[in-house]
Formats: sequence, structure tokens, C-alpha cells
Amino acid sequence: MTLENTHQWLLKEGEGIKVQERDYAKTGYHLEAAVSEEKILPAAHYFHDQKFFLECLTCVDYTNKPEDPHFIITYQFNRWEAVERVLLKLKVPKQINEAPSIASIIPAANWYEREVFDMYGVRFSGHPKLERLLLPLQSKIHPLLKSYTGTGDSDVRNSLELIESDQEVFDFNVPEEMKTSRKEYYLNLGPQHPSTHGVLRVLLHLDGEKIISGEPIIGYSHRAHEKMAEVHNYLQFWPNTGRLDYVGAMSYNFCYALAVEKAMGIVPSPRVEYIRVITTELNRISSHLLWLGTYLLDLGAFTPFFYAFDEREKTLDLLELCTGERLTYDYFRFGGVLNDVPQEMIDGVKKFIPEFRKRLRDYRTLITENIIFIKRTKGIGVLTLDAARDYGVTGPSLRACGIGYDLRRAEPYSIYQEFDFEIPTEREGDAYARYLVRMAEMEQSLRILEQAIARIPAGEYQSGKIPKAVPACEIYQTVESARGQFGIYLVSDGTQIPYRLKLRTPSFSNLNALGPMAKGHFVSDAVSILGSIDIVVPEIDR
Amino acid sequence: MPPESVTQFYKIDDLVNMARANSLWPLTFGLACCAIEMMGTGAARFDLDRFGFGVFRPSPRQADVMIVSGTISRKMVPCIKKLYDQMPNPKYVIAHGGCAIAGGPFQYPGQYAILEGIDKIIPVDVYVPGCPPRPEALIAGILALRDKIKKGIPPAAQVVKVPTSSKEIPITPTTPS
Repeated sequence: MTLENTHQWLLKEGEGIKVQERDYAKTGYHLEAAVSEEKILPAAHYFHDQKFFLECLTCVDYTNKPEDPHFIITYQFNRWEAVERVLLKLKVPKQINEAPSIASIIPAANWYEREVFDMYGVRFSGHPKLERLLLPLQSKIHPLLKSYTGTGDSDVRNSLELIESDQEVFDFNVPEEMKTSRKEYYLNLGPQHPSTHGVLRVLLHLDGEKIISGEPIIGYSHRAHEKMAEVHNYLQFWPNTGRLDYVGAMSYNFCYALAVEKAMGIVPSPRVEYIRVITTELNRISSHLLWLGTYLLDLGAFTPFFYAFDEREKTLDLLELCTGERLTYDYFRFGGVLNDVPQEMIDGVKKFIPEFRKRLRDYRTLITENIIFIKRTKGIGVLTLDAARDYGVTGPSLRACGIGYDLRRAEPYSIYQEFDFEIPTEREGDAYARYLVRMAEMEQSLRILEQAIARIPAGEYQSGKIPKAVPACEIYQTVESARGQFGIYLVSDGTQIPYRLKLRTPSFSNLNALGPMAKGHFVSDAVSILGSIDIVVPEIDR
Repeated sequence: MPPESVTQFYKIDDLVNMARANSLWPLTFGLACCAIEMMGTGAARFDLDRFGFGVFRPSPRQADVMIVSGTISRKMVPCIKKLYDQMPNPKYVIAHGGCAIAGGPFQYPGQYAILEGIDKIIPVDVYVPGCPPRPEALIAGILALRDKIKKGIPPAAQVVKVPTSSKEIPITPTTPS
């Protein structure tokens, strides 16, 4: 219904917008529109008013085309209520190199636009703070440009230069009035802090102990996954999918497999689909367990950490039987998986399910009604629905606000529509609700596992020979990872190397909403909020 | 170890080394994937406390060992260097995983984001290979470090020279095109 309205609106705007329908099954998009520079702000207003959220914003570099060097900036909108994916494209000629910023309308665009500026050097007019996002502030390169090859750049020399200038870490512009203020000050949480789960830095602006604003500063774990995709072929990119979100790597394997299979038109055998679902759900449980242990550790409870890691080791043992790895899984292949699932693993999962159900009950008695835990989480870090939409929050953090948006249901992929499971939701949107949602999700993953193990068919675990080159296409594929919506936007030019592979990672958007969530709370609550949104830093920084 | 002065207190030195080797305090410091395995090593099954190694310190000023576990992003290098400089002597460094040793899977000709191996800016005592290394491998690395201290081998920080200024590195390209 609204898709029809959107189509009508885009058509009505006439001059400046060229709209066309896309085959959803083949590309993952419903509508695509080429938008002119003047129309991008009205369009952003329209999608914002119609309760769309900004799923992704990125850039594709065509400046190597001698006759018409340009960038294409893509804006991707979607809705929670029904999947209606609209792709807007803005052409920015190389000599202009500037586009209007939509960050004032949709806050989620703020980081995305900074990332595009960082990686491509495209400027956004009207952006509140257009500076580097992932690379060090004093960097001079725009690495995702096709013309950038990295020649002549020594890593040691560059690193030592960074140490010498050293303004990156501790130097930031403190306003004059704050230098004399006795109450307001800045506090760096990270990049080396026990509860930032890696190398995240949050710049807290404090009034006494109250948070006036919290700004995450990212990029301390930037590993150039997207550039690596453009210099390696499709097969060589597999290990990267396991190292984006190493805690729940199977979902990322899954998405990459689905994206390339969609582009090549490969349909995997039913056994492959079941193996994929079983391993992904097991991995989801182990990811939530790691979150549980470390979150409670952040809040000062040591016992659950050991409980959760004990259970987690058991899931890792099961996954190790088929993957041979404990972490950073690189198990899926195009049209199949690396190894077949041994009977030993199937028996192991059958044994694990009832055991883990019992342990989940133990966790509940240990944690859920613990008065200290409730005081540290209830009413802390409330995420409103509007803020969630503005920042494009997905996953358990969104479901804790009462929206049952889970891509396994909303946009079923693989064989998820064959399983009977629920999407747990809570209404409060605070840290406690996010805890409850994840606990309930582990229960639902067990239900899926139970059904999948009972019904797994015999058959091939790999399909035949797969061509190395992927036909020219432009597709979007998305899966529900343990943290939210993970998406791959793939532009292929028909060669063996992706032309552009954008990784839309859930924690990137979820962390973006930290500012509004932390406002007005105390410093110690910032740790609680940060833990409750369950971030994995290398997945944010990519 | 060759004698450094005429008077040697061998037995006392041995005793000090033994005490030091059996109560190494690592810095709570994770960079990427390997940090999860480091956590796993400290948790229920592998129980790092068996070796007197499980007292993870949040402050570098209380730590003896820095386990560099994960990819060293160039943006993070000044922080790592600062943390290392803050640690009191004698200090030890374990390079945990392929990235901390030589860049691991993120090393390719012309990469712009990472430092290919922590030993280029910080002296390293023990290398633990793997991507990520299993907890058993990390334990083996820790035991190797323990043996090294017990034998009285001086920490790498005292014997290995690393470049301290960017002027020491020639401007000629080191990465092939």
C-alpha cells in the first residue's frame, strides 16, 4: 500500500526524479530512483515523515571512467512494518565533489556521510561535523577511491608519525568557557577501557557525574574490509566475513553466501540450508552467552561470566566438530558448506538442547530478579521509538522497544519460514528490556534448533563447480545477525573481483543511538548502556 | 647469562625470577578477535589462574605483561605505545595471533589501515601464532614466557632495539604496487 504511495510520490515529483521498479527477488530492492541534487532533501523529508528508516548510505566510485567521472551516492530506505526497500541514487560529478547533507533530517546519515567523506573525499554541504570517522584525523588519503593503491606508504613510518603527533587521542577542542568551568568537563571512556569490549572510545561531556552528551569515536579497529573486497576475488573474501563480527560470525558467512548466490543464481540443496540454519542458531546462542557473561561482568557480577563461558564452550565444541574452528568461522561456501555435519554433532546438539534449557532457567533465577541487576538496568538507557527510527537501530535493541522487526520473519531468507518460533519483544526499551529480549531469543533459537535437527534431510553438502566471476549486478542481501540487521550491498561488474561491497553492519547504527540513550544518566550507567546494546567494535569499524 | 658484575647473587636472583615468573599480571587489553580467545582462556574451562596468570589488571601501572591480542589499527598505535610506556619495568609483551605478529589476514600489498606486526614498534618476548590461536596455544605461550623468566633471560624490552622516530624509516616505498 505505502509502496504504491511512495511510487506515486516519486512519480509526482517529476522533474529530477526518475523512478523504476526493481525485481525484489533478484535484487532485494522494490524501487529505485535516480534523484537530482535539488530533490534529495525533499525526498529525505518524505521518507522521514512516512516512517521509513535509513538503512544504509554509501558511495560507489566511477571516477575511473574517463568520459564521465562521477560518484554515485546511494540512499537506502526501508520500513519496519513491511519490507519496502527503496534505493535512491544521487550522481555527483567528480569536479563538483559535493552533495547536500541529509544529516539534519535523518540523524543516522551523520556517520554514514562522514564515512563517505573519509573514504571517498566527497563533501556534504550543511553537515554539522564533517571530519574523518574511521581513519586518524591527520590522514591525507581517501582509500576507497579506485585510484588509491597504497604505494609508497610505509606502515611503520605512518604509525610512528601518528605517535609523534599524538593529537589523535587526547587533543580535542575544549570550548573556552569550559576551561574555566568548575562543573563541566570531558571524560574519555576508552579506547583502552575494560568495559568498552575492545577499542571503542566514548567522549563523555559531563556535568559533575551526569552525562550531558556522549559521543562515540570509532575507527580504532578499522581493518579495511571493504577495500580488501575490492582487491581480492570473491572466494578470497570469505575469511573476512568471519572476522567482522567474530562473536557471531555465522550470520555474516550466511549473508555473504546468500548475496553471491543471489547474484549467480545458485540454489543450495535442502541439506545445506538446514546445516546453515543449525550452525547459525548455535552461533547465535554462543554470541548471546558471551554478551551475557561480559555484560554482567561490566555491572560487577563475576559469577555469571564463568557460568556463561562454561555453556559457551559447549556450543563451541559442537561447532568445532563441523567447522574445525572455535571462532572467526569461515565455514560457508557458495552453494554449500565446507564440511558435512557429522552424526556426532547432531547427537551432541540433541543432548545440548535440554541441558541448556535447564541452564537458562538457572540464569533466570540467578540474574533476572536480582535486585542489584534490576537497579543497574531498569529505566536506564531508554531508547524511544522515534530515536530508534532516526538512527536505524535494529536487532534486540529495537525489539526491546516493542517492534517485532526480525529479518528471519520480516524478510525470510533461506528456510526460516518453515520453522515455528516467536519473535520476543518488550515494551520498555531500557537496558533491562534488552536483557530480557536476548534471554528469550536464546530460548527461541533452541526451538529452531530442535526442529531443524529433527528434520535435517540427507543430501549433498556442496554444489558443483561454481564460476569464479559473478555476473554484472547490483543487489542487496540482508540477514538477522545476533546484533541486528547485517546487509551486503554488492555491485559487480562481471569480473572475479567485487566492484563495490558495502557492509551494512548493525552495531554501527545501534552505537549511533548511544548519545540519546545516555543523556541524563550517570557515568556508571554509560557502562551499563554500552554493554546492553551489545556491540562488537571491529564490526562497527570494519 | 653472562655475569655482568664481579659479585653475583645467584640464588637470590633465581628466587626473584621464580617469584616473578609465577605471578605475572597481564594488562586487560583486547584489540580484536583474539581478545575473545584470551577471555576464553581466562574463563571457566581453561582457567588461567592455575598459572598465577589470571589477575588481569585494568591499569598498565599494575601490569607486568601486555598481551597484544588482535589487529593493530594505525589509529590505535599511539594508544598502545602509551600503554606500553606506562608499564613498570621489567615488562614483557606477548604477540597473540597472526595480526599482532605480522598483520595476519589483513596484510596485503598496499594496505592502509593496520600496522603489520607489533614488534615493529614494541619489543616482543613471545609470539603465539594462530588466527586466532586456541586457548591452549596462549597457555603454551605463557608457559614459554615463564620459562624464559625463570632462566634469567632479560626481557626483550632491554635487549631488542625498535625504531622510535619516523625519521629512522626511509621514505622509499616498502610496499610493492
